[in-house]
Amino acid sequence: MEIFGMILIGIGAAFLLIGSIGIYRMPDVYNRIQAGTKCTTLGSFLTIIGVGVVQPDWFWKTLIIALFVLVSNPVSSHALGRASRKKRISLYDKSVVDKTDEFTGQQK
Amino acid sequence: MEIIAGILVLLMIASAIAAASFQDLMNAVIASCIVSLLAALLFYLLQAPDVAMAEAAIGAALVTGIFVIAVKRTKRFEE
Amino acid sequence: MRKLISIILLGMVATGLFMSISQIPFGEPGERIGDHFINQGVNETGATNIVAAVVVSYRGFDTLGEVSVLFTAAMGLGAVIGLVRRKKTHTPIEPASLIVYTGCRFLFPVILLVGTYIVIHGHLTPGGGFQGGAVIASAFLLMYLGCRGKRIRENLSRGLESLGGLLFILLGVTGLVIGRDFLFSFLPEGEAGNLISAGIIPLIYMAVGLKVGSELTGIIDHLIEDTDELPE
Repeated sequence: MEIFGMILIGIGAAFLLIGSIGIYRMPDVYNRIQAGTKCTTLGSFLTIIGVGVVQPDWFWKTLIIALFVLVSNPVSSHALGRASRKKRISLYDKSVVDKTDEFTGQQK
Repeated sequence: MEIIAGILVLLMIASAIAAASFQDLMNAVIASCIVSLLAALLFYLLQAPDVAMAEAAIGAALVTGIFVIAVKRTKRFEE
Repeated sequence: MRKLISIILLGMVATGLFMSISQIPFGEPGERIGDHFINQGVNETGATNIVAAVVVSYRGFDTLGEVSVLFTAAMGLGAVIGLVRRKKTHTPIEPASLIVYTGCRFLFPVILLVGTYIVIHGHLTPGGGFQGGAVIASAFLLMYLGCRGKRIRENLSRGLESLGGLLFILLGVTGLVIGRDFLFSFLPEGEAGNLISAGIIPLIYMAVGLKVGSELTGIIDHLIEDTDELPE
């Protein structure tokens, strides 16, 4: 059981590492938010659940914390991305498609 | 343990200097929020969870929110 | 010139702080009254969280002063905001997106529950009235930001705040009547570690949590009140 928890923590840490590399490598705000959100959500979820598996007394508490992270992290990232879109922070110049304006019906 | 505490203190000093030197006050507010968050972590490492909880709730959440509202009601850029 | 003076002043403050603090051994157990609290605190008060025992039981009167400092600050802020009320411009506020709205409505009761848990378990685990009250107020801050237009009624927050303060003082005076001094713990200590134990510490923490939470919510409410109409 402990080995299983350790494996979970290891996978989570690997995802967090990939996420931080992504934040460093990606060219503009939106790509960075994407890298940051997806990897850190799964990474912290797995890490916290892994701690709960290693210490079975804490399992239900860690499950609640993990669910909280699972909800709050994507919502806050969505708010960040929408706010930066509203402020017209420009996209990466090699971006191919941008459907925000036709989707929200706004003039540029 | 001491290495982690040292790294946290260095990061706190860097964030505090950044908060003092930003021209855009919104960035300065976020930097001071980082100072509070790191301080909460440091309190927890030094085995003061009560203070850490208060610092995280008041310093990182409420004060940041109040400062953001205050900046929005006044001027955003320092002259 | 101003910078030079401020740097010199900061240097003087830092030297003074260093000289006064460097004498105290850092992180070592004290030998005076702290030992008594650590060794006898659980027996005397029944609270397993020694910090709660010190804040509410041994130094309960100081906590009353602390709470009234917060009250004075909130009142001063309300007065200042009331003086400089500007004319409203009635530009429509842009609502938050559906995801943020739903997420805030989902997270709000969860954060509220965590705050209440922290307040109620103040005498057992780290936390207590101030921390829990701040968490509750941050839940209301999230609600104000995510769901624009939703408001707590001002009378309700003021009433809860007065109720908290009144409860604190009533508990103190009851101790004065029944026992020997202000905030005397007139309830049985019970078994240390149970939820219902430690005399009046949980009751006082509930009063403090109610007061701090509604006060900070009131501050946020005052500040955000006419920010809704964006400045032109």
